[in-house]
Amino acid sequence: MAALRPDQAKTGAAGAIIGTRETQVRPRPGRYEIDTSRSAVTGSLDARASTRIDRTEFGVTAYAAGPAGSPRRSAVMVAGLRKSYGTVQAVRGMSFAVEHGEIFALLGPNGAGKTTTLEILEGFRSRDAGQVEVLGLDPGDRSHGRALREQIGLVLQDIAVEPYLTVRETIARNAGYYPAPRDVDEVVALVGLAGQARQKVRALSGGQKRRLDLALGLIGGPELLFLDEPTTGFDPNARRDAWQIVRNLRGQGTTILLTTHYMEEAQALADRVAVISGGRIVAEGTPATIGGRDTARARIRFALPVGYTAADLPADAVPADGLVTVETAEPTRTLHELTGWALRHGTVLGQLTVDRPSLEDIYLRLTDHDGSEHTTEGNP
Amino acid sequence: MSLAHHQAPRRNFPLLWHQVRYEQLSFWRNPQSAFFTFLFPVVIIAIFGALFRDASGSSYFYGLSALQYYVPTIAAISVLGACYSQLAIVLSTRRQNGILKRVRATPLPAWTYFLGLLAHCIMVSAVDVALITGVGAAFGTPLPTHWAAIAVALVLGAASFCALGVAVASLIRNSEAAPAVVQLVLFPLVFISGSYMPIHSDMLNRISGALPVRPFNLALMGPFAQHSGFDWKDLGVLLAWGAAGTLIAVRRFRWDPRPE
Repeated sequence: MAALRPDQAKTGAAGAIIGTRETQVRPRPGRYEIDTSRSAVTGSLDARASTRIDRTEFGVTAYAAGPAGSPRRSAVMVAGLRKSYGTVQAVRGMSFAVEHGEIFALLGPNGAGKTTTLEILEGFRSRDAGQVEVLGLDPGDRSHGRALREQIGLVLQDIAVEPYLTVRETIARNAGYYPAPRDVDEVVALVGLAGQARQKVRALSGGQKRRLDLALGLIGGPELLFLDEPTTGFDPNARRDAWQIVRNLRGQGTTILLTTHYMEEAQALADRVAVISGGRIVAEGTPATIGGRDTARARIRFALPVGYTAADLPADAVPADGLVTVETAEPTRTLHELTGWALRHGTVLGQLTVDRPSLEDIYLRLTDHDGSEHTTEGNP
Repeated sequence: MSLAHHQAPRRNFPLLWHQVRYEQLSFWRNPQSAFFTFLFPVVIIAIFGALFRDASGSSYFYGLSALQYYVPTIAAISVLGACYSQLAIVLSTRRQNGILKRVRATPLPAWTYFLGLLAHCIMVSAVDVALITGVGAAFGTPLPTHWAAIAVALVLGAASFCALGVAVASLIRNSEAAPAVVQLVLFPLVFISGSYMPIHSDMLNRISGALPVRPFNLALMGPFAQHSGFDWKDLGVLLAWGAAGTLIAVRRFRWDPRPE
């Protein structure tokens, strides 16, 4: 079982944003506090963090200083997590960490243990073994419940919204549950429901209800957002819109942990991906490098010219799906040889493509056999 | 690790009021709940009013006129509908739809959620009782005099039947079964408790006297029709049922449609 490594999660894209909002100043009646317990790295504060500070009516300038030398804790830490339902082991020794400001995707087929893991982190389910920390708190400990929920946002898998309130009323109701909510109209606009703000929820389409769900996840101004299969059932345009919303949130400093079974989604959104199969992480890394994608052999595919066999070609070719595939470590040279051969014979290589294994190929390979060893690949 | 989180007690009351407002809003927007909660008892008392408008006191109604008897019992039925039936069905439906799980996903404390529901149900019950009293008065039934005793019985009864409603919602898994289970319990109970016709069997009255509906009828009937005040014995029985319901609710209530 892999132990949790604090160095596990350095990310490229997220690196630029790490350092936002490490110092929170929360206005409380009669007292002002500066929470430096989440140790700080210097960095620019995002707009919302600044607003929070301004609200204290202090000229706070101390936000850059954290306890000297203490390592910044991850937003989410999971080590050796286990969970069974009866005899079914849903999660079998899962370990990972999500850093502040990044988008982390748990990618896996249905039944791999993604939602169970997420629900343990969200405090909905108990765990059998292992350590879990969300924003420094144990979600299994009920006494932290309210404090934790004020700082996290949840978008669950199934759509569930009360039918008789309007979109705006629904969001305004939930805004009242948080100590420092975002502006209701701003959130309505952010999820693209400005035109439906006064409509009853029952009149919304499935996709619009899903966006309302997202709005409810965001309204509290969460530091950490959990998205459980956020775009399942979306059409391609709606999916792209949703991705842009999620990227914008990261841009504002929100840490995001999402589950998905869509490869494109992990590829398009995540700074880091963990592929889950059979309740374990079978690979972890950036979408570009996971499973050795960056070092894998290129594939050249084309239709075999009429009148020739694979044996006539100047490279080893394997027939598949009516085309032939040539795998090579030197795509430039091999392609040159193949096209040269075609020109010499006065023929063409129809439907010619060159690619590397897609994330989907890697994913299918990794999730094909359950219970393989935990391999952490391609993690810089 | 300190989270710098401190409960802000001053925030709790506004939060409760916020919750009650939105409960009211969803309730009034739902034509079905408004219809069954208000129209049904009002129609029943109007029918009884038309049937018995000229009847004077009789020993069958313990010396009361029929309407003097029926105004408090139908008022009690309306409170059962607004609290027990409504909550059991609404909560099991909300759970099945995943709405309760969403509530749990917010920082709203559970006790605020339930207190909000309770306050909402008491308000609806008060409107119901006022409507029925009004219809009764329109048919010539004298208005009650001991309003404080009615208020106490109303609030205690509403709270106890809310607790029982939550308890039933805690025990049913399937929301489709909720209306059937609710009626299955309520219908015979209402009948043997004398809500629709006076019961002149000592044995039956002893049994129903230990169950929650008859004590509630009596606690309302005293101040409504018999010029008596607080009916402490019956209020005590109601309170005991409320406590039992609360105990079951606290131990068994689930927010998640698919519990572990």
